[in-house]
Order: sequence, then C-alpha cells, then structure tokens
Amino acid sequence: MELLYGERGAHDFSGDPLCVSHGDDLILNDVSVIYSLYELPMAVARERLPASLHPSVPAVLGVTGWNAPDSTFGAFEFAYLGLACRTGIKPRHLIYGAFCNNPKAAEFLSNNYGFSVQHAEVAIREYYDRATLQIGDAQAPLLTHAITNMIPIVGAGAAVKYSPPLNVCTIEDQTVLAQFEAGYDFKKVMRGTPELSVFEGEQLGDPWAMPTTPVSGTQAVCDIQLLPVRFKVDLEIPAESGGARKISA
Amino acid sequence: MKFGLFYELSTPRPFTAENQAAVYENAIEQATLADELGFHSIWCVEHHFLEEYSHSSCPDMFLTAVARATKNVRLGFGIGTCVPAMHSPIRWAEKAAFLDLISNGRVEFGTGRSSTWNELGGFNADVDNTKKSWDEYVRVIPGMWTEERFSYSGTYFSMPERNILPKPLQEPHPPMWVAVTAPGTEFDAADRGMGALILSIADIDRNIPRFQEYRRRVAKAEPVGAFVNDQIAVANWMYCHADDTYADKKGKELIQTFGYMAGQTVEISEAYPASNYSALGLLGSLRPDPNAPGDSKKPPASGLCFGDPQHLVNTIKRWEEAGVDQLIFMVQAREHLAQQDVLDSLKLFTKEVMPHFDRDAKVVAA
Repeated sequence: MELLYGERGAHDFSGDPLCVSHGDDLILNDVSVIYSLYELPMAVARERLPASLHPSVPAVLGVTGWNAPDSTFGAFEFAYLGLACRTGIKPRHLIYGAFCNNPKAAEFLSNNYGFSVQHAEVAIREYYDRATLQIGDAQAPLLTHAITNMIPIVGAGAAVKYSPPLNVCTIEDQTVLAQFEAGYDFKKVMRGTPELSVFEGEQLGDPWAMPTTPVSGTQAVCDIQLLPVRFKVDLEIPAESGGARKISA
Repeated sequence: MKFGLFYELSTPRPFTAENQAAVYENAIEQATLADELGFHSIWCVEHHFLEEYSHSSCPDMFLTAVARATKNVRLGFGIGTCVPAMHSPIRWAEKAAFLDLISNGRVEFGTGRSSTWNELGGFNADVDNTKKSWDEYVRVIPGMWTEERFSYSGTYFSMPERNILPKPLQEPHPPMWVAVTAPGTEFDAADRGMGALILSIADIDRNIPRFQEYRRRVAKAEPVGAFVNDQIAVANWMYCHADDTYADKKGKELIQTFGYMAGQTVEISEAYPASNYSALGLLGSLRPDPNAPGDSKKPPASGLCFGDPQHLVNTIKRWEEAGVDQLIFMVQAREHLAQQDVLDSLKLFTKEVMPHFDRDAKVVAA
C-alpha cells in the first residue's frame, strides 16, 4: 500500500547532542507570541521531511516568534521556522531555522530542546494596527513579517494550537528528532492576515522552502511552561510503527 | 433502532482511474446489498481535496447511482456544505429535489459547514462566517422546496423571485439534518427542529447528556422547515464476524487506517483560530491530546461495533437505551478490507443482529 511520507534520507540529517534535563519546568510569563502559517508546495515539503513523518495536506510552513520580557536569562526574543508534519496522527513542525538575540537563552534552547539557534537580532513588536516580527538587523533583514487586520478571538476559541516543534539532535549517539513540549496559558489572542515583505530563504535555513498562500497569523500573550523533552522520534521508523519513544531517564 | 451505512469514499494511493472507480463501484455494490438486506439508509459525505481520506466531492452523483440501483433505502446527504464559496443554496434545493423525484421520495437532507483548511482555504471561503451562512441556508432551502416562487434578501444569500425547479416529491419536503461534530451543535439542530447527525466517534456514556438535552430542546423547537425532524443518528464503525477477536482486530485496523488518512488533513482549529471553530472535528475524537504524545493510550470509544453478533447486540442495546434512533456505520477505510469481507459482514449483521431490534420503533425522550 502506497502511503504519504517524507522522502529525505536519514543520512542527510545531523544535530548536536541534547542535554536531557529532568529539572524543574521553566515558566516564562507574559510572552508575546507571533505564529503565522503559510502554504508551500507539497513537493518541497516531502523532499525535506524524513521517512518517519507524514506531511500535512496541504503542505504548511510555520513562522513563530517569542518576545519574553523576563526569564532567568533576562529578556530575550526568539524565532523559528518549521514545516508542518505528522508523527502518526499528531500535528508537529519540523524545525529548520532558529534565531535568538540572547546568547544564554539560545544556549538553553539549544542544549535542552535541540533548536539549532543562530545568534541574530530578533524583534517582535505590537502596534495599534499590527504585530511584526523581524529577524536580522534593520538594514539587511532576513525576514520581515507583519500581521494586519487583527481581530480578538474570544470565548472557547481563544487559544492557539501551536504544533509542537521537532528538532534534529543527537541522543545516545543516534540522530533523532526531539520533541519540544510546553504548556500555554493564554491571556489574549488576536488573529489577522500574515504578510511577508522579506523572506531570505537560504539565510533562514532552506533556499527552497518558500511560502506561497497565507493561512493565518496570530499574536497572543501567554505564560509558557517549558517542559523537559520526553519523546524522541526516529528518522526512518514512523510513530505508528513504534518510531516515537520515551527517552530513558 | 434503524441502521444505515456512511460513505467517505476513501481511496488508496496511487490515485489511478482504476483505483478510484473500484472504490465507487464497491460502495455502490455494498449499498445495493444493504437495500436488499433491509438497511434503512445510505449516507454520503461531501469533501474536497482530502487526499485518501475522502474522494467524495459529488455526493449527489453517488446517491443518484445508489438511487437507481435500490428500491427502499433512504438517501442521505451527509452533508451538503452550506458555505457560499462552495455552493449556492439554490443548487442544494435543486439537487435534493431532483434526487427525491428520481428516487421516489427517499432523500434525507443533511447540512453542515466544513471543518478543514483543505476545503475552506481551497475555496477561499470566509471561515469566520460559516456558521452564519449555514444558518441562513437552512432557513431558505425549505422555502425553495415549498413555495411556487421564492425570493430572498439576506446577508450571505439573496435572489430575486424565481420558481426553483424541480420541487421534491416528499410532502412537504425531505427531512433536514445537521452534522454535529463540535459539542453544542446538537443544540443548534434541536432549536431549528432538525435531526442531529452525530459525526464524532464518541463514547456512549459521554453522549447521554447531549442526547437528553437535544430531546428537551427539540420539544420546543422553532423549525426552519415545515416540520420537526426529531431524530438522533450516530455515525459509528461496524465489522461483524463470527470470531469476536478477529472482528476486533480488523476493526482496530480500520480505525488506524482512518486515523492515518484523517491525520494528514489540516483542521481549521489547527490552522485558523476562530471563535466558531473552538473544537476539533471528527479527527478530534482520534486525537486524545495533540500536545501530549504520551497520553494517546486512551481506550477506544465504548460504543464501537466491532465483534461477533452477540457483542454487537449488546453494544447496540446500549446506544438504543441512550436514546439513539439510528446508527450509521462506516464499514470500510481505504479499501483495507476485501470487498467480500465487507459484504459478508453486512449479511451476518442482518441475519444475527438486526432481528434483536425493532426498526420501526420511535425513540421516546428520556
């Protein structure tokens, strides 16, 4: 039976060692989160996903940014890009680019969650009519993104279902995908139209992953509880065949 | 308790003409047998762009083919999407009336609004207003069927006076239903005097309060049509085999296959946060918690109909006691089962399970 999976070979992936921490959860209060989704060609997504993951249909690219006003590392701003995928039936994003303006926060996110973080200027801003995310300096940005025409989302729908990131990393000498897990306590959710005016694909991590049709953009304020990594996903064995496993303590 | 079959027309890759035609032909053969065996209804979904999961973009055409191959079975739109970017309500009124005439008055008209980005995004639909457009559609379609000349000026639909033709055979018009996936939509059905077509694969006990509230509210309905269709139909899975263990194994394979297909789709709640899509659709019942990978070992819903005949009798009795009028079975997923196995399952169900139920009984509110 022919099934829909990614096509990229496991040998094409490599990642840094992950520090599997079982310490206390880290809580970030009042984080402004921008999360925008765009469609991209299915062929591009399949060529970038490993054989253990299903693409979403249609193929989707996610742009996420955090503005954390306070943390044990001080204030930091963090952004990452990923391709929507599925482990079994569960929605995930395979991360291929990450950027942070605070070296200590970057080191924490890299060591504990496997984000391959580059140091860069990251700026998430809220205005009366829009929210913006910029990666890179103002003279030569890598990404300039805005969410316009924003409306508040209220009631039971006032939440965003962030697809958990999967990061390529090394655990016990094996290249795997580590799943970032977090809890989100929403205080405000706005939704609008995402617009990209600058998108330097190659410098963002993949020259061929170019967004096409906008899906949605949200700007939320929430408390984020970062949980220790609990699960790893094999690059070749799908979750439904036992490829998603708990990480031994 | 009445019994029906529910068709998504899921299709295995590669999407060759041969594979596609086989799916349609097998489903029509099953529906024809079901008619001969005494099943009550055949329902067919409307879906677009849902690869593998559902290649049922033209339910009216499928139901027309079934109509001409059968004599008694009811023919359900499960559902017709009431979103302006996809259909005008005029077209739904016309299609349903046309089918009603050539089937000798056997149409059940289910309505809904879609829950995937695949479909609403693909048609560039106004996601935020699908509930409002659905509400307007279900209020105007009965008038198109019953009034000689109809005109309307509304928010999502307007038309000058025209005679919408043909008119349906059933007097005053076909029964109307609402697809219920998100909790609370059953109340929308009840308040409008429409049947509740429950499409979430849910636990019996958890559904009992919903059924009771539906019955309470539908008693005070202000019907959008000419009459109140006070019925609860629940979609379910069914595979009947003399070997209970084997049937359960095959049933789990069907659900796993369905989950794989459904998992690829992009639900609105995943892609487009909106107050009118706060709950997951059908797929939601298969994802215990999308953010908790280790918490997926939730036991399957208690009311699934996989097993030997006695097992199924016991399970269906519980649905009956819960207040359900009709169970609508999915019996295939991406041609996972051999066609003969599906036909044999239907025959065994008819011989050993159906006689335990009064198929003309009307459920009385609890």
